[in-house]
Amino acid sequence: MTVYLIATLTLVAITALAGLALNLQWGMGGLVNFGLFGFYMLGAYLCGLLTVQGVPPLVSLVAAMIGVALLSALVSLISVRLSEDYLAIVTLGFAECLRLFISYEEWLTRGTFGVAGIERPFQGLVPAQLSDTVFLAFTLTVMALVYVALQALAGSPFGRLVRATRDDPAVVEALGKSVLTVRFKVFAVGGAILGLAGGLHAFYYTYIDPTQFGPIITAYAFMAVVIGGRGSNRGVLASAFTLILILEGSRFLVDLVPHLGSSELAAIRLILVGGGLVLLLIVKPNGFGKEPRSAEAKIRSSDMS
Amino acid sequence: MPQLLLNGVVTGLLLSLPALALSLSFGVLRFANYAIGSYLTCGAYLVYLFNVMFGWPLWLAATFGAFALAALVVAVDWLAYRPLRNRSGVTLLVASMGVAIALENVVRLFAGNSPRSFDVPVARPLRFGDLRLNYEQLTILITVLAALAVVWIVFRLTRLGRAMRAVADNPDLAAVRGISRGRVVVSVWIICGVLTALAGVLVGLDTNIEPQMGWNYLLPVFTAAILGGIASPMAAVAGALTLGIAEELATLVMPPHYRMIVAFLIMATLLLVRPWGLFGTRWVTR
Repeated sequence: MTVYLIATLTLVAITALAGLALNLQWGMGGLVNFGLFGFYMLGAYLCGLLTVQGVPPLVSLVAAMIGVALLSALVSLISVRLSEDYLAIVTLGFAECLRLFISYEEWLTRGTFGVAGIERPFQGLVPAQLSDTVFLAFTLTVMALVYVALQALAGSPFGRLVRATRDDPAVVEALGKSVLTVRFKVFAVGGAILGLAGGLHAFYYTYIDPTQFGPIITAYAFMAVVIGGRGSNRGVLASAFTLILILEGSRFLVDLVPHLGSSELAAIRLILVGGGLVLLLIVKPNGFGKEPRSAEAKIRSSDMS
Repeated sequence: MPQLLLNGVVTGLLLSLPALALSLSFGVLRFANYAIGSYLTCGAYLVYLFNVMFGWPLWLAATFGAFALAALVVAVDWLAYRPLRNRSGVTLLVASMGVAIALENVVRLFAGNSPRSFDVPVARPLRFGDLRLNYEQLTILITVLAALAVVWIVFRLTRLGRAMRAVADNPDLAAVRGISRGRVVVSVWIICGVLTALAGVLVGLDTNIEPQMGWNYLLPVFTAAILGGIASPMAAVAGALTLGIAEELATLVMPPHYRMIVAFLIMATLLLVRPWGLFGTRWVTR
């Protein structure tokens, strides 16, 4: 039971990281990143491939963050001349192409065989039976650090600018701020967090292959943000550790309910995620959390709504 | 080379139906419907149900499947999109992704993950000199051209078509002139459903029926629609043909499994250079 709990909590923490990244991009910035799983996958592969080459795990993790941040920012530039709606298809296209590339370029990524034997951070320092527990602690620490950093960002002038570009890009432009620069930076920071989440995924499983990554990761992140309330980092963490925990935990139902295979259960879970996403957008569009607002926004909020 | 061009035209025609559907719904509703891939999958499975489970001939199964999918698409609009119609386009985008995931997994739940194929006789390819034309390709050619002709007639020559164009052009003005937006929206979804179901059947004939099939077509369909200029439906057909031919010609220099990368590269270049589309007129994009 403890083993299950540790495994699920680690996965939930990694999902929460992806949710936090999306909350910055979509929740605060209004930029739809349907290709989230691609950046996550890139992080996992960068981190995994570097580690099996003998690079120390923590160094690979940082390299994955930087690599994904750069690429993610570049992808955001493709839609430089267009409204942010186009980012959705551009990021999705990028992610699908990346998945194809990783599946077929065996010389680099070992294709569908996957990358095995990825060393975890601190692997030599802790006894093997404590490895999962230590890794959970590491993941939770990383998540907490990212949360603190994002909270600081949300309260900073830059955070205000990001929210302003979501609410009215025209006003931001008129005030002499570049919407594009904001988009670029938001994708870079979000990409770094996604790279981090992907790297942790690679460390956790110690084995990665292309089938582990798909639009499901994107769907979970959107679910976390929609429930948590767009723009609320605290809400994202809360929703990850309640709903995603329940969804992930439902894997154990396979052992308890007869005639229920794991693929049926996975399908039911995703029907709930997809349907739940639509339902929440209809009945509770602001989610259950609250976006931290500036004093001025609080005064004006009455006539905004 | 002529063989590649022919294959490209067939691939393009196959893409043109969902691309047309996407661009029709975008024109009237102003949001890009990501569920179109899942609609295609659902259409193929519905036709499979009638064709293989009930043992009907494929043309009859396809007809019933097309209307069944149209009903499903209208139902999805009622349940999911209509309550969100006054929200921002971005909210609708995310909702359509939710619909896409839910529908694809409904298919997985009932039909499983293994690939299937329609119950059709295997036929020898036709030969014209050096050119080879599969029976499936011939079916695609005839079906798509017929469907496009019908859509063109509806769009250009009927009251409904005029109403659709009016709403796409200026919904407020159309409303003032007494055109019911609700009815136009329902008609557009019905046309979308029928076109996507047909595309599903043709993709199923061309390759296999599997839960992922629609998802794999999502990027090419969007690329085709953007190539045409996403708000002009008939140009989407031209966009689809261009993309189909480009994809086939690219197999000369790239392995065939990288077709999607070709589509992505074309889309990326286009968005950077000519975001209003190859054939579209310049309209406000920012």
